[in-house]
Amino acid sequence: MTTTRRDLFKFAGGAALGALLTPAPWRLITDTALWSENWPGIPRPARGEMRTKFTNCTLCPAGCAVQARCVGEQPVSLAGVAGHPLSHGALCAFGIAGHHLPYHPARLRSGAVQEAAAAVAQAMAGRGARGRVVVFDPRPGRTASWTYRRAMAAIPGGTYVRPAPALGGNAVNLAAARTVLSFGVPVMDGWGTPGNVMAAREGFRLIQVEAVESRTAAMADVWLPVRAGQERAMAAAMGGAPGTGIADEQVRQVAQELAENGPAVVLGLEDWPEIVALNRRCGAAGRTIVARRGTPVPEAWKKSAPETEWSAVEDGSVRVLLIDEAAAGDTVPWSAIQPKLARGALVVAFACTREGYARHANYTLPTAVYPEMVDDIPAAVDSPASVFRMSASLVAAPEGMVNPAEFVARLGGIDGGAALRERADAIHRTGRGSVFAAGQASRTAREMKPDEFRKALTEGACWIDEPDPKAKPPVLVAASAGYASSVALTEQRGAGLVSPLLSKLHEESRLRLARHEVALHPSSGFRDGERAALETGRGRIEVVVTLDSSVPPGVVQAAAGADVVDLCGGDADARVVRI
Amino acid sequence: MNARYGMTIDVDRCNGCGACMVACAVENNVPPAHAGANDRNGLTWIRVYKVDNGQDYPDKRSAYIPVLCQQCGNDTPCVHVCPQQAVDVDPTTGVVGQMPERCLGCRYCMAACPYHARYFNWWDPAWPKGMEKTLNPDVAPRMRGVVEKCNFCHGRWHEARQRAAAMGIPETQPVDYVPACVEACPSGAIRFGDLNDGASEVARGAKEPNSFRLLEKLGTDPKIHYRSKRDWVREMGNAPRPAAGKENQRG
Repeated sequence: MTTTRRDLFKFAGGAALGALLTPAPWRLITDTALWSENWPGIPRPARGEMRTKFTNCTLCPAGCAVQARCVGEQPVSLAGVAGHPLSHGALCAFGIAGHHLPYHPARLRSGAVQEAAAAVAQAMAGRGARGRVVVFDPRPGRTASWTYRRAMAAIPGGTYVRPAPALGGNAVNLAAARTVLSFGVPVMDGWGTPGNVMAAREGFRLIQVEAVESRTAAMADVWLPVRAGQERAMAAAMGGAPGTGIADEQVRQVAQELAENGPAVVLGLEDWPEIVALNRRCGAAGRTIVARRGTPVPEAWKKSAPETEWSAVEDGSVRVLLIDEAAAGDTVPWSAIQPKLARGALVVAFACTREGYARHANYTLPTAVYPEMVDDIPAAVDSPASVFRMSASLVAAPEGMVNPAEFVARLGGIDGGAALRERADAIHRTGRGSVFAAGQASRTAREMKPDEFRKALTEGACWIDEPDPKAKPPVLVAASAGYASSVALTEQRGAGLVSPLLSKLHEESRLRLARHEVALHPSSGFRDGERAALETGRGRIEVVVTLDSSVPPGVVQAAAGADVVDLCGGDADARVVRI
Repeated sequence: MNARYGMTIDVDRCNGCGACMVACAVENNVPPAHAGANDRNGLTWIRVYKVDNGQDYPDKRSAYIPVLCQQCGNDTPCVHVCPQQAVDVDPTTGVVGQMPERCLGCRYCMAACPYHARYFNWWDPAWPKGMEKTLNPDVAPRMRGVVEKCNFCHGRWHEARQRAAAMGIPETQPVDYVPACVEACPSGAIRFGDLNDGASEVARGAKEPNSFRLLEKLGTDPKIHYRSKRDWVREMGNAPRPAAGKENQRG
C-alpha cells in the first residue's frame, strides 16, 4: 500500500479534529491563562513578615490615627485605629492611599539646594534695613512652626506669617452641639476630623446654607439653597436683612431653631461679623465654641517671633520669602502674597510638587512626603482639647530631600534638630493629660517616664490634654481675610499630592470633580465633557465641563487646586467660556 | 451551618466620600486608571453612584449609593452564563467567586449582571514605578482580558479562615472578618456579617422596615441590603436604573 500525499493530509486533518475531542487543547487554554497571569508585565506583590505600625496622617489638619500593615518595613495598606478618641477609627479616601505618595510620578525628587542656600544668604545680606525675611507657614502650631518663629526672632527683620485661624483659634465642640448652622462649610466632607464629625452626627441637626447641593448639603437635615454668594447675606437676614432667595418664613424658622434647640454653633467660610453675631446670640461661646489651651512648649521657645498674618505685612517689604508647603494647610491666594514682595524678592518653596506656591518660586526644594516625614500635627478645629501626635516615618525618604525646619533653623543660627524631643519633654513635664496608644489602655502622662512618653509618641500614640478648670468662654471676634472664593470649591486640599489610585473617584467613576474639572448646570449651554476655560480677571485655566443639576444656573463648581484658588480667590468674578 | 455573608448599607449615612472605593482598590490590588480609562471602562469593584429624586435645582435632592457585586443567592445570572465555569457560588459562604485564570474575557457575565457590578480588565495592570512595592501580598493582580468583581475580600476571608483553623475552629463554622470597604467607611454606613446568624447586626438590619434591595423584583436574592428613610431612594432601588443622571447613558 502506498501512502499518498492525500493520505497525509487526511491523517493530519483527522488528528486535528480528534484532538479537539481530547482534554489536551482545553487544558492548554487553562495553562496558558495561568501562565499569562504571571508573565513579566504583571507585578508580583512582595512577600515577607507582616508587621503592624502606627502613625498619624499629616495629609490634612485632622491628623487621623493610622494603622499601617507592612510587609517588612514597607506599608501595604493603611486603616484607621479603632477606638481612637479623636479619629474614632476613620480614615478618609486620601488617607487610605497615603502610602502611595512616595512613588507618585509628579513628586519632586531633586532641587538646587546649595544654590538656593547661597541665594538666600546673599539676599539676606543685601536686603537693607527695611527688607523682611518671611517664613510663611500654612499649617501653624507644629513644632516646625516654633522652629520658624525662633529662627525669625534671631534674624533682624525676620517675620513669621500664618493664615488667619478659623474661629480665632478656638475649637468647636461638636459633641455638645444640638444644632449646627453652616454657611457653606463642608462639615461632612473634610472640615474637621471625619470620624469625630460622623460620631457626633447623630447628636445634632445640621442646617446647611449653600448655593450648591454639596455632599454636606445632601447629608444635612435641612438644606437651604441660598442664592449664589449670598451666604453672608443670609446670616444677616437672620437678623432681619432681606434678599437671599430664601423665604422669610424659612429664615425665621432657622433663627428660631437656633435659639430653641441649643446648644448651637454657627460656622462660616470666614469669621464674618454676621456669623460672630449669630454665635453670640445663640450663646455658643463656652458651650459649643471653646477656648483651647496651647500645646506646651519649652520656656525658652516663648521668646520667639510672634505669629502674624499677611494683612499685617507692609506691601513691598519682603525681600526673602520661604514657604513651607511640605505640610498642606490653608491656601492663601498668591494675589494676597504677591503685593508684599519687594522688587526682585527671592521666593523659596519647600514642596513635594510644582503645583502650589512652587509655581511662583525662584527655587523649589524637594521635601519628604507622608509617610516618610517626621512631623507633628496640631489639634484640628473640632478638637476641644489640645493634642500632640506625630507622624512617624514609615519608609525612608530618598536622598536629597530637604527638611524645611532645619534649613530655616540654620539661617537663624539655632539648633532645631532636637525640637520634637524637647517639646515632648516639655509636655511631659506639665504632668497633664493622657496618652492613647492603639491596643493599650489610656495612661496618664504622669504615670509614664519621659523616655516611655517619647517612645509612645514616636510609635503613633496621641497625647490629649485634660480640660482646663480655669477655662473662660472665648471672646468671639470677627475676622475676614477676604480669601473666600468666587466659585464653589470642593476638596480644599491645596497643592498636596494624592495617590494615583484616587482615579477611582475621578476619572473612573466621576464621583468627585477631578483637577481642572468644573461642574455647571445643564442649562449652561455646554456639553458634558466639553473643553472650556475658567476665566477671571487674574487669568484663565483650561478645564473640562461636567453637567450637574446640583449646581444652580450661573454658578461654577470646581475642584480646588492651588491654581484654581489663585485664580478665583477673593472677589474675582469667575466664568466659564468656550475655547 | 453554612454562612451567608451579606451587607447592610445605610444610604442616609453615606456622604459619597469614596473611602470604600479606594480601600477596595488598595486591598485587592486594583491598578490606577489607565490613560484611556473613563467612567464606563474603569475598574471599580465597588462604585458609589450619585442618584437624585429627578427634580431640578433647587428641589433636587441627592443620595449616594455604593454598588458592588450583590452576591445573588438565587439563579445567580453570571454563574449561569459563564461558558468557562469561571464564576461560582461558594456554598459555605454564599459569596459569588470569580476565577480570573479560567476567565476567557467573553463578558457574557457582564451582560447578564443586572447591577453593572462586573468590570473588564481592558489594560495590563500597571502601577507608577515603585508603587508596586505597596501591593497587598494576599491578592494576585489580574491580567488584561479578564472580568473582575467584588468577592467580599476573599484574601481577608482566607486569612481569617487560617486563623480560625489554627485555633481549632471547624471549617464549617463561619469566621469573623470584615471586607476593606466596611473597615474604611468613616460613617459606619456599611456593615458586614452573616445573614444566617439571626443575632448579627446585618441580619437584624436586613429586616428593618426601611430596608430594600436593588432590583428585588428580579428574584436574584441579593445579599446587599440597603436602608433609607427617604421614599424616593427606596423606590429607586427597584427602578431599572437611576432615574436621572449620567448613569442613564451607561450599559
